[in-house]
Amino acid sequence: MMTARGPRVVERIARLYPLLLLALLWEAVTRLHLVPPLFLPPLSVVLASLPQLLAQGDLAMPLLISLYRAAIGLVIAGVLGILLGLLIARVRWARLLFAPLVAFGAPAPKIAFLPVFILWFGIGHVSKIALVALTSIFPFIFAAQDGAEAVPRQQIWAAQAMGTGPWRLLAGVLLPAALPALFSGLRIALPYAIVTAFTAEMIAGGGGLGGALVMAQRYFETPTVYADIVVMLAVGYLLDIGLLALRHRWLRWQEESNDAPN
Amino acid sequence: MRRLAFLLPFALVLLGWQALGSSGLAPPEVLPSVAAVAHALADLLGGSEIYLNIGVTLARCFTGLAVGCLLGIPLGVAMASSRRIDGFFGPLITATYALPKTAVVPLFILWFGVGLRTEVAAVTLSALLPLVIYSYHGVRAVPGPLLWSAAAMGTGRVAMHWRILLPAAMRPTLTGVRTALGFSFIIGIATEMLAANLGIGKLIFQYGESGSYDYMFAAVLALMSVVYGIDAALLRLINHLLRWQDDDRAGAARG
Amino acid sequence: MQADEPGSLPKISITSLTRVFDTGGSRLAALGPVDLTVRPGEFVSIVGPSGCGKSTLLYMLGGFLQPSSGSLLADGRPITGPGVDRGIVFQEYALFPWLTVADNIAYGLRMKRMQAGELRDRVAAAIAMIGLGGFEHRFPRELSGGMKQRVALARTFIYDPQILLLDEPFGALDSQTRELMQDELLALWRSTGKTVLMVTHDVAEAVYLSNRVCVMSQRPGRVVAQFPISLDHDKGREAVMLSDQYRALHDQVWLEVRRQVGGKG
Repeated sequence: MMTARGPRVVERIARLYPLLLLALLWEAVTRLHLVPPLFLPPLSVVLASLPQLLAQGDLAMPLLISLYRAAIGLVIAGVLGILLGLLIARVRWARLLFAPLVAFGAPAPKIAFLPVFILWFGIGHVSKIALVALTSIFPFIFAAQDGAEAVPRQQIWAAQAMGTGPWRLLAGVLLPAALPALFSGLRIALPYAIVTAFTAEMIAGGGGLGGALVMAQRYFETPTVYADIVVMLAVGYLLDIGLLALRHRWLRWQEESNDAPN
Repeated sequence: MRRLAFLLPFALVLLGWQALGSSGLAPPEVLPSVAAVAHALADLLGGSEIYLNIGVTLARCFTGLAVGCLLGIPLGVAMASSRRIDGFFGPLITATYALPKTAVVPLFILWFGVGLRTEVAAVTLSALLPLVIYSYHGVRAVPGPLLWSAAAMGTGRVAMHWRILLPAAMRPTLTGVRTALGFSFIIGIATEMLAANLGIGKLIFQYGESGSYDYMFAAVLALMSVVYGIDAALLRLINHLLRWQDDDRAGAARG
Repeated sequence: MQADEPGSLPKISITSLTRVFDTGGSRLAALGPVDLTVRPGEFVSIVGPSGCGKSTLLYMLGGFLQPSSGSLLADGRPITGPGVDRGIVFQEYALFPWLTVADNIAYGLRMKRMQAGELRDRVAAAIAMIGLGGFEHRFPRELSGGMKQRVALARTFIYDPQILLLDEPFGALDSQTRELMQDELLALWRSTGKTVLMVTHDVAEAVYLSNRVCVMSQRPGRVVAQFPISLDHDKGREAVMLSDQYRALHDQVWLEVRRQVGGKG
């Protein structure tokens, strides 16, 4: 197997040739002055600006702020969303009360609430966290509901027959059964949370990587704009990979066939 | 009766909203009263401003979505049926799917200026990915025996695409369209908030900045209703197009 | 029954056929070498342990999979891909779910560009023959398993392929429906004289329907035994099934399959 590994790594890298092609094209059109550097600086210039930006803390600090907002919003959305989803799946009055509101709110472009949240919470952390929570709560609700509804009735009856109360039923039977579905929900909600944090910062200011991006654009620091975008891309990519690795560790027993192609 | 049950929670929300205001817990400059918002809504619906702005937003979003469909669905199908095309575009898509599409808007503003081209480009970009991915997976998931029996009955290469692949991959592809529609509205409105002279996103933002909170709430409500209506109409259309499928509509209901 | 004179050109001839699957680096021999000839109008069944490659053999005859080595001829010509001379029926029916019963049956004729009037008559006749009158405009999801398989058979018979490839055609049906469908297939075959190659795991079905039963070994599957069969179907199902001749053949084939499942080939 050791002998096979060498060529396989090479093969894997060779498969990324379209990215290399794109990078070369980018570098070429800029070096040949086909595009003004204000619009598109050479890739090498963008990459060269990364260490400096990192050293000055112009990337790390805003990124940490954005991630903090995304994380807090995601946790709130997770706790409330899972609870709501489980309730809607199993409790009649909760379904009657919440299902219509969820159905109405789900397709709405949540970004429209940003001015409302700015009014309520100001332009600091809280309005962004609220928008993140509102955006990413829906995948959790649906995941928890689907997961809990998929539990076989006999399993619930067996638990009830053994004297399990309603809250213990939610926490002890339905929640674990919904875990794989919740993971899929998290995989949808996580990019929502990050994108929403960046977008809210871009529109409303108040710091963060999104705010830094817009400022850089206003002052025509184009390499910084591209550098910020590269960092956003890398963060989203790494978080998704991390999530898949976690799933592989925790939920190895669960086949991944019902993964949303997202 | 079912419609009434559907409306009940909304009535409760209005009631709670009114109670918050009347009890003094939420002052009107933070939460305008139900009556004030209703009045603002009536005023908006009586005038032309809201129609113009929502119309502009919808026109941009639908244009971007249409361009996205024309580019994305054929690309997804081509990737699914050719290993070479998949090999080329696959890495590009993997590399860009984590990109927050709003982040590209400042670049588009730089390139195209503030206006229609930036809007449509941004919406197209956001719609492209779900369309490619869902149609790709849709075609890949078409059962082999279906393709084989079509081939055995003399279906040629071209006919295979529109007679077999298109209908067989219809559900995931339409789910992709519905997802892309949602993305279109988000990016369309976000782009308007960043840079635009017209559009419902701009209007809501303006009301917020000028302190006309009752109008801001009314405009948000109007937007939510319109988007809900469009999504529900699309869902009905999808269920009609897929009426031949096994009853699994709950799955299509959310995408 | 059918033309059986020696010297007639074989309908299907398979010579030293093998198939190897590439599974992430390691190569898995799935089939062969297989040698088999089928005469025109013959009904041949292939039985064997699961995973022995019998379906793979059928898919290569259909032209959906390519052989790794060996030769595969239909009517003396090499098989290079799917063709309308070979019709196939799958266990999961593979009906087009977006087409109605009538449109499913008409599909092959449409591909032949048959004109509308004749097409309509032929489809109506086929629907009447399979007893699905009144279901013309239903979608497949509204049909029972047996009805679906009738449609699948009708849509294959109607465009008149000379060779029929059947991949466990009744495997998904309950036992009563299965018997009914076997007799319908038998009647269709006897009235049309097509060459049939059927893969099944049901020994009783193979013995009851075929002129010849081939038993395959475990993977990589080879034909290890062949049993010529001539039962008199004019007497009806019960008489055939209860005859000593049928029972003896059934037991022979069954024992051979048991041997293949248990032994290492």
